[in-house]
Amino acid sequence: MRRVLLAITGLAAGTTALVVLKGSPQASQVAQNLPAAPSSSAVPSLSATGSSSAAPTTGAATPRPRATATRAPGSRTSASARPSTARPSSAPRTTTAAPPKSTTRTVTGTVVSNEYGNVQVQIVVSGDRIVRAVALELPQKFVQSERRNEEVEGRYSGTSGQVVQRQSADLDTVSGATATSNSYRQSLQAAIDRAG
Amino acid sequence: MSGSLIRPGLRRVEQVMGTAISLDLADDLPPARLHELADDVFGWLREVDARFSTYRSDSEVCRFDRGEVLLSEASAQLRAVLERCADLWGDTDGFFDAYATGQLDPSGYVKGWAAQVASDRLIAAGATNHCLNAGGDVRVRGCSATGRPWRIGVRHPWDAMSTCLVLTGTDLAVATSGVYERGHHVLDPRRGAPATGLRSVTVVGRDLGVADAYATAAVAMGVAGIGWLDGLPDHPHAVITDGGRCLHSTRLPLAD
Repeated sequence: MRRVLLAITGLAAGTTALVVLKGSPQASQVAQNLPAAPSSSAVPSLSATGSSSAAPTTGAATPRPRATATRAPGSRTSASARPSTARPSSAPRTTTAAPPKSTTRTVTGTVVSNEYGNVQVQIVVSGDRIVRAVALELPQKFVQSERRNEEVEGRYSGTSGQVVQRQSADLDTVSGATATSNSYRQSLQAAIDRAG
Repeated sequence: MSGSLIRPGLRRVEQVMGTAISLDLADDLPPARLHELADDVFGWLREVDARFSTYRSDSEVCRFDRGEVLLSEASAQLRAVLERCADLWGDTDGFFDAYATGQLDPSGYVKGWAAQVASDRLIAAGATNHCLNAGGDVRVRGCSATGRPWRIGVRHPWDAMSTCLVLTGTDLAVATSGVYERGHHVLDPRRGAPATGLRSVTVVGRDLGVADAYATAAVAMGVAGIGWLDGLPDHPHAVITDGGRCLHSTRLPLAD
């Protein structure tokens, strides 16, 4: 009888342990597709036989995600929504407001066409600083983009005019996914480079 | 050209690796020396392109992918890059995947890595004040020619002509991954489909290759990438969602 009791107790304890062990990672698993924090997870060895089948697309060897939240509000700033200041259209903006200085130069980029239309940029350089940048021509579809921009919150700036006046005057360079030479030509970085 | 008249240093832009590389040397060195340094930087980047381009069938990466070069025969550079890609695959829970397209394509790491190495070499050569922008991935050291820390704008995802954040620092690697143009996308390697949720991700660190890989991985993760980025203690970041919301680390080195 005592052995039976011991056996039952042991079985119960073992089962409980199994349930606890199995259950604990699941308890913090709130979503299937959240990635885990960087860890010492299994690293694939890229061998000479590497091919598409070696890619971890199946996720079979991938540790299941354990992130518990998509966002940690406490660790972020969340500034309030900006008032809408979007310009109504893509009409060219003039540079007449800039007080002329002796060292001021105006550099105009070439017209670049893309699938949405034409883009042309002009910047005004005072000394070695860009004091103003305007899009002389933008595709019509930018009007839609600007409406979308208004939804942007926090430090996110709305239209090009706003941003440039507030921030770009002191820029040395621009980080952005400039994937192609063509997207570079249409970028603020290109305008900065042209200014020398 | 006129730039050299009003400030020290040298600026040069060249098309390498399928994109524009902008170099800004801010040290007050003799012009001949500055040109020599710039030649070294672009020479190195072209060397990397010849070895790692997936668009050149004779590149070492393509020959390796076809099995014409064994791992044991590969150059030290290729082996180092493959090793780092494997590490990053683990660090990003599989979302940075050099095989995401079904073929070996380490470009997502190589561009940042190449620029990082170039910057490290400039430091070693005594050019301690410079900014190297490799297709939007930026490595800055020291100060600009005006004598103040470098100021790096983060591109506005819906407008190539404006910026949404300005970062500043004297030793920063700033990488931005995102989806701005139709047809361009980041693959979610788990689903094999274009990732959605995040329009652009900017990651700041010390190693440009790692920062770029992390930014690309976060875009591939979609909205879940925000939580993943928050778990990176040494990499402040900014995220702009498809819905146009901007979130960023409180530790992000913002200007002003």
